[in-house]
Amino acid sequence: MLKLLVTALAAGLALAPAPGRAQAARGDDGLPVFKKACAGCHKWHGDGGGGYGGDALSLRKTALAKEQIVEVVNCGRPGTGMPLHERGAYDAVKCYESLRAEMGASMPPEAAAFLRPAEVQAVAAYVVDRLKGKGEPNVEECTAFFGGTSRACDIYRKKEGGHAGQTATQ
Amino acid sequence: MINPRSPWSRRALAATSLLALLAGPAGAADGVTQDRLLNADKEEGNWIHHHKNFAGHRYSTLTQINKDTVKNLKVAWTLQLGGIEPGGIWSHGGLEGTPIVENGMMYVTDGWGSLYKIDTRGGTGRLVWKMDPKTDKEWAGAVACCGVNNRGAALWGDLVVTHTLDGRLVATNKETGQVAWQRQVADPDKGETITGAPLIVKDMAISGVGGAEYGIRGWIAATDLKSEKEVWRTFTIPGKGEPGSETWKGPNNAAVSGGGSTWVTGTFDPATDTIVWGVGNPGPDWDNAYRPGDNLYTDSTLGLEAATGKIKWHFQHTPNDPYDYDSVSENLLVDVGGRKLAIEADRNGFGYAVDRTNGQFVWATPFVKKVTWTKGINPDTGKPFEYDPNKDVQRYIAANTPSAENKTADFCPGNMGGKNWPPTAYNPTLQLWYIPVIESCNRVTHEEMTTASLKPREFFTGGGPTNPFRITGSVTAIDVKTGKVAGKHETQFPLLGGMLATPDLVFTGEPSGGVMALDAKSLDKLWEFRTGGGVNAPPMTFTVDGKQYLAILVGLGGAWDKWFIDSTPELKNIQPGSTLYVFAL
Repeated sequence: MLKLLVTALAAGLALAPAPGRAQAARGDDGLPVFKKACAGCHKWHGDGGGGYGGDALSLRKTALAKEQIVEVVNCGRPGTGMPLHERGAYDAVKCYESLRAEMGASMPPEAAAFLRPAEVQAVAAYVVDRLKGKGEPNVEECTAFFGGTSRACDIYRKKEGGHAGQTATQ
Repeated sequence: MINPRSPWSRRALAATSLLALLAGPAGAADGVTQDRLLNADKEEGNWIHHHKNFAGHRYSTLTQINKDTVKNLKVAWTLQLGGIEPGGIWSHGGLEGTPIVENGMMYVTDGWGSLYKIDTRGGTGRLVWKMDPKTDKEWAGAVACCGVNNRGAALWGDLVVTHTLDGRLVATNKETGQVAWQRQVADPDKGETITGAPLIVKDMAISGVGGAEYGIRGWIAATDLKSEKEVWRTFTIPGKGEPGSETWKGPNNAAVSGGGSTWVTGTFDPATDTIVWGVGNPGPDWDNAYRPGDNLYTDSTLGLEAATGKIKWHFQHTPNDPYDYDSVSENLLVDVGGRKLAIEADRNGFGYAVDRTNGQFVWATPFVKKVTWTKGINPDTGKPFEYDPNKDVQRYIAANTPSAENKTADFCPGNMGGKNWPPTAYNPTLQLWYIPVIESCNRVTHEEMTTASLKPREFFTGGGPTNPFRITGSVTAIDVKTGKVAGKHETQFPLLGGMLATPDLVFTGEPSGGVMALDAKSLDKLWEFRTGGGVNAPPMTFTVDGKQYLAILVGLGGAWDKWFIDSTPELKNIQPGSTLYVFAL
């Protein structure tokens, strides 16, 4: 059963939403959570790919609905490096209808810091509103992430023919 | 890219000059010259090189703290530093630096490149000044693969010379703490960052670069400290038609993004006028089919002519590397049995000795407990036994090598290496070489790269690691006379800080917080202090007011807590911090 569920999850098929979570979080609230918990592996633009954080999936190309993203954030992805972020996952709370003892070697790692339910809702909303279905990252997205006083987005300004003049190093 | 000096730094320079006029020729007596750097070991109580001497020994002849007295070693004073704030993809900065001490004045850096001058006289530490280079944290921190790191300062004339993560070389007046001048050496727009301390050779600052995970073409650069201009820049990946360019084959023009970073400070052999410097992994890290050929000079040790940067010789450890086995480690220059050697503890798990006059292989020996990527190093050639010069893509032991045919591979040592940047130390009397070891395996998932995968400021790794295996550590001693392991002191956690040797002791720190002293011969633990922070920096020792001190920076640095923590779950309890600890009898 576990295998079936995980396969279904990977394929982006609908799963029952996790009950009892806070509602109506907005993408704006999710940016600080995304920065803290996700950007290391999924990259600032969410497109994932290889790196020292593992071979993370693209959130821009994800087929998951918001409630499925909530579940993956809470429970992690079994058999991969995607960690669980919910305190008590697989212990006090079942994940994919399973407890820790049933997981064996596919038990996902635990994130460095747990997220509160409202943070999970907010970051899932951020993924759906700001990343899912988006094309190549652009200067607006980059500036929204890194702010306007850094040179971090100069390469997008150059690419888009704009003014690459930020010299915030001094 | 070279930015003109900013108005800000010109104003600082003017202020410095004014102060100098008012105060007279302050500091001239302390001016650091090439002659003093050549004779650094004669200044017994000082530590004026990053690696203590040009040969990289990290060996102090001071003996007040010895195997009989070390049990009485206690905290003399501490000083809180800064630099733990987040930036880019990093949630905190940390400390990896080696303090420099000259006549009781200590110079240390924090991860974001702030430089601190500390007066250590009178049995306490007093901050004299702090120079904050205002690093662009997002620009640099978003393309720093492995943490917010800065490994320290160097001295030249009346200047303290440092790097910043966003790629600058900064010269600070030793007396006033004002920035005298600065120069952009590396370009974070290309994914380049700098974490190492400069090496000062003949009035030049030698800089290395990080970024082999971001598709850079690596280099080593020399800046003339008098004219403030670049003297030479030697690329570690040959240009079209240059010797070695034939080792980059296939349709991808792979050399342009071939990696070959140089982010650990090298050494200098005055007798042969040779800078010896290690070169990092090829990119993409784990898709070696993208870049057929041996991929020179990645995973190599280079001997460079000091005046020109010309490559005199090279020795490559892991041709067409599919594991991320950097050879950036420092090469220690040692003379043994009539041979002039350069010795290096490689990420691939083997310690190597080569003849530093010509790069010829002498010996290699495994310093980790477990190696699964090769049966061993051929003693005749210095290459792994499975290496086939007629093959463009090496598979070594194929079952343990990530590739398109073997999407997920477990190998030992893991990609963080058997030994990472933390420096080794060498006792020239005992002829023992002490290696801070990561006893590791990990798992890599292969991802096939195309030229479309290559984007500025983006990871270009050909896959990524996970860490399902427990990782431990050791201090491993190699007898340089025989090239064999002479002893191993095992530790619960990997050693991520580095070594200091004295006549009868070796010192190191642990990421779980311990600083310890071991007997130089038996490696038995003789003393330990729990700092309460993560130790990711090497210890050093000095004297002031006639008394010997041991100093070490303590503050969770590096990449372990972000990328590799699943292999050492207990270390999740270590919190960020930023403290200088100084011990005395």
